[in-house]
Amino acid sequence: MSVIDELLSVPADWLRGDGEENEMVLSCRVRLARNLERKPFTHISGAEDLRDIQGEIKEAVAGTAAMGEALVIDMDDILETERMLLAERRLLSQEMVQKYQNRSLLVNRGEGVSVMVNEADHLRMQVLESGLSARDAFRIISALDDELDEHLGFAFSDRLGYLTACTTNVGTGLRVSAMVHLPGLVHNNDIRQVIDGLRHVKLTVRGSYGEGSEVMGNFFQISNSITLGHTEADTVEDMESHLKKVLEFEKKARESLLREARSLLEDKIWRSYGILKSARLVSPKEAMGLISAVRLGIGLGIVTDVALTDLNEILIMIQPMHLQRLHDRAMKPEERDRIRADFIRSKLNKQ
Amino acid sequence: MLCQFCKKREATIHFTNVINNQVEKIHSCPLCAEERGFDYLKKSNFEKDHFLAGLMNLSGKPEKVTSAPDCCPNCGLTFHAFRQTGRLGCSNCYEVFNRQLLPLLRSVHGNTRHLGKVPRKLSPRVNRKRRVGELKNELKRAVKEENYERAAELRDEINALQNSSPPPEEE
Ligand SMILES: [Zn+2]
Ligand SMILES: [Zn+2]
Repeated sequence: MSVIDELLSVPADWLRGDGEENEMVLSCRVRLARNLERKPFTHISGAEDLRDIQGEIKEAVAGTAAMGEALVIDMDDILETERMLLAERRLLSQEMVQKYQNRSLLVNRGEGVSVMVNEADHLRMQVLESGLSARDAFRIISALDDELDEHLGFAFSDRLGYLTACTTNVGTGLRVSAMVHLPGLVHNNDIRQVIDGLRHVKLTVRGSYGEGSEVMGNFFQISNSITLGHTEADTVEDMESHLKKVLEFEKKARESLLREARSLLEDKIWRSYGILKSARLVSPKEAMGLISAVRLGIGLGIVTDVALTDLNEILIMIQPMHLQRLHDRAMKPEERDRIRADFIRSKLNKQ
Repeated sequence: MLCQFCKKREATIHFTNVINNQVEKIHSCPLCAEERGFDYLKKSNFEKDHFLAGLMNLSGKPEKVTSAPDCCPNCGLTFHAFRQTGRLGCSNCYEVFNRQLLPLLRSVHGNTRHLGKVPRKLSPRVNRKRRVGELKNELKRAVKEENYERAAELRDEINALQNSSPPPEEE
């Protein structure tokens, strides 16, 4: 069994969708950027340096309590399509899909804790959890950070904190991001105001699922942009309190939708569910829109025979590399549309 | 907001571009963005680095005035190279280019002082420094309020802290 098969043999924990507010907050992710002292940063390191750093970090991670059993995936040993698959699972950055030599991904079964080695920084540790869970996620990653620092010695300045390749991460090296589902705000057009408000408090909003470009399925990624001058606890708490405000707005938007256009809304939700259960060809964009409607239906208690877990799994599995792996061959987009529809039908009609 | 190119569709893609040191805000619909090759998100890191490098050119002081070293002795990165890529070469670069970096960090983070966690083995030293910093601020306030008794106490406390173990090295 290849290491990728081994990873995929256990479902990702965050897909269980059992976290707080998990219909609206798919997941929270925290990551810490760290570098080894005095070693050149990744982008100017030669192969020999990269190999040394890679070896040193792999050994240190294997010695930790949190990641002693982690799967070790060396990027040189896997195919580009497999790297893309890991990116679809949000374990790997786009940068690492392209620049893969002497780089590794260490990841626990269940995918909750992972470390990218030799990305833009020597280490990028990540904790990914279901629902509104940034605090908990930070606690886990901070413990891993402490353990690794004992062995590795991270680049740190008394004044500027943890030193990173890019000045946007210096200080805490902490990025907290949440994937949120906001169909109510998109529908009543308040989303723009909410995004402006979030930008005003220095949170970054990406109108998309994952690293994609446009708004698909009303999924947004919200993350902090400031890493210098605030404690980690403040960063996490600010993020959570702003997120909670956004969720309040979203709930209000949904309530007024229900009040003013209940039949229309119910019709849209049930039609979407019907299409997902019977369509033979579904593009990624259409799928995301339909899934969003059904997800909203679950949130409003209108749809009761679909589990969030299944919708989450569908979100991951309908991505190109996942579909191809299902059938173990490359496919044209039109063919994937068919396989995508097949997968969704089989998932939703099983009850 | 409408897309600035077609002026028909809603602008859902907003980003800042730096062209020839000119910061330009782009508001585009996905279609026009694609047409124009603003494949923004795939290259978002690059754009951001590039943007920062641009910001540096706008707000950074000319190198002549600061007479900083041309390159980092540890990794060999030149400040010019940093300006182009937006990435430093090693942890030592932060010391070498400190003076040029501070204004940039201030414009990015609104701040130039780390308040977050500290590696365990460094925490006694860093905590002492942070405490000294706080006391110095308090001292300033006391002097301003002409509370000289309190000021004397604070001065003694600062001296005691600074002499308690190896003095904190200059930054
Ligand atoms: Zn347009
Ligand atoms: Zn350097």
